[in-house]
Amino acid sequence: MFAPLAPQGRAAVALLVAVLLILPLVWHDTYALHLIILSMIFGAFAVAWNFTTGYAGLKTFGHHAFFGIGAYFSALISKNLEISPWLTTPAAGLVAAAAGLVVALPVLRIRSVPHVAMVTLGFAEIVRVLLTVFRETTRGEMGLWGIPAYDGFTIPGLGEIAFNAAEKVPYYYLAAFLFLGSVYAVVRMVKSPIGLALVAIRDSQDAAESLGISLTRYKLLAFSTSAFMVGLLGAFYAHYILLLTPSSVLGLDLMIYIIGITLIGGVGTLFGPIIGAFVLTIGIEAMRGIGEYRMLIYGALIIVVVMFMPRGLVALLDRLGPRMGFGRGVALATSDDAAKAG
Amino acid sequence: MTATLFLEQVVNGIILGSMYALMGAGLALIYGTMRILNFAHGEFYMLGGFFVFFLFAQQHVHPVLAVVLSTAAVALIAALVQRLTVDILLKREGWAFSTIAVTLGVSVFLQNLALALWGERFQSVPYFVEGILQVGEFRLPWQRILILAVAVAVMATMAAVLRWTRFGWAVRATAQDPEAAAVVGVPARRIHTVTFALGAALAAVAAAMLAPVFAVNPWMGLPLIIKAFVVVVLGGLGSFPGAIVGGFLLGIVEAVGITLTSSEWRDVIAFGMMIAFLWVRPWGLFGVKER
Repeated sequence: MFAPLAPQGRAAVALLVAVLLILPLVWHDTYALHLIILSMIFGAFAVAWNFTTGYAGLKTFGHHAFFGIGAYFSALISKNLEISPWLTTPAAGLVAAAAGLVVALPVLRIRSVPHVAMVTLGFAEIVRVLLTVFRETTRGEMGLWGIPAYDGFTIPGLGEIAFNAAEKVPYYYLAAFLFLGSVYAVVRMVKSPIGLALVAIRDSQDAAESLGISLTRYKLLAFSTSAFMVGLLGAFYAHYILLLTPSSVLGLDLMIYIIGITLIGGVGTLFGPIIGAFVLTIGIEAMRGIGEYRMLIYGALIIVVVMFMPRGLVALLDRLGPRMGFGRGVALATSDDAAKAG
Repeated sequence: MTATLFLEQVVNGIILGSMYALMGAGLALIYGTMRILNFAHGEFYMLGGFFVFFLFAQQHVHPVLAVVLSTAAVALIAALVQRLTVDILLKREGWAFSTIAVTLGVSVFLQNLALALWGERFQSVPYFVEGILQVGEFRLPWQRILILAVAVAVMATMAAVLRWTRFGWAVRATAQDPEAAAVVGVPARRIHTVTFALGAALAAVAAAMLAPVFAVNPWMGLPLIIKAFVVVVLGGLGSFPGAIVGGFLLGIVEAVGITLTSSEWRDVIAFGMMIAFLWVRPWGLFGVKER
């Protein structure tokens, strides 16, 4: 299951990355670029969540806490202390990683899936309520605005690079950098001994421990690296959208959206969450014409995927071109499925 | 803060606590027999509220009949949901996660179904009974007393059914060991469906009683399900008496907590208590220690 992609698969990935990077140079539709930026941000978020849930087997339902912490930390520090967002964004990642360690501590003691789900969700709710309560600083549900955008800079030969609402291309490349960076980091971790240790823990904690794998160390590592990535993405989101409310970045809706993306794409696979993010983000936009029924369809889609396609869309892709190896990874549903896929 | 005002707060805490207890007891019943965490529980609550709104506020059906009909309708819907999703997933591997995922999907679906049917407006339901009980300076609307009375009656009936009827024995046997129960002739599948429906019915009763106090809207279930999570963690996940004690405990602690701080801190107090509990006693007050 850790076999590298087949050469055809590698070529396909290289082609997709190239298309992603060239796209804004030839396609100037601001709205389309905005949708792709959001797809990349939520895709990277889902990849990071899937790393903790699908690979490490820590089924958290509170990852939106890290997104919100990253977003609000970076926004408030850069706005109030007038520090460049270029500095507050990585700092937001570190703060989110520290928060990840705090959440992971009680999670270390419990193994039952529902308990982990409830403690992580409870943590996120505490963060959301605190941000709502301290409204002198955060403005609560009225919305935090006046968040500074990234500072512009000049690249010799290309000219001035400015970050503002009208100009999507610089944001696009920054989002692409975060997206590809997160995916690359997760791929490297999954294929390294760390990834093997995490999958071992997921499949049997007792067996992993008996082989000398430190459960504490690896669980903390999985949580904090994933939280770091999500915190960075949250900070980017804050300086991109420039308006934050506790319910938009810390609502359970956001977490359900990320879970939906991962389920629809394929839990425990590398490409699943990415495919899910693009399909769902663009799909929901495309259904804007049918109004509120699109969310009804979205709910029904989650049910149908869980019931009838437990391996998600990646399984279809695998059927189209099994030799590419996109569906490789670890299916969460059954070991049988994983054997068939691998 | 006078003593009377403080007493009123505590009594209100007990009344709200009885609703938390109903929500938590339903969740605990479902978890206890099937070991699944039902994320759609808040939406069964929401549907109960809307049915009462439709029958009592719009069609002017007698309140007792409206509450009974709403509860029965929610139970039927829940039974259908259980048969179409959870029941099938329970036979597959990885069900602990997939049942949570599917109930999340059901939750999104039902929320948006309610949005499509009734719109996003907050709909108010009139009180079932008018008037205020006054003892000295102490004042309490009869509606709130009714809430507490109904909650206690429903929970006592439920506890008695679990304790003394053949059906209750079958539920408890299935909870302990579904396969062993099946061997001695307990229809485990049917028991699962019926308990899921009963758990949802408890949420619907809570919603029917609370509808006149809080307004009805498609998102009303979310705050309540999160409180129900706190309740089952306090009481021990899957413990019916634990959920009842946990519900009242949460109601009282919240009420005392907000008189000391302010009402905005209500949720912080609740979730802080849950995380502290998970830290020192993850199996809850009544649960069995399992890792």
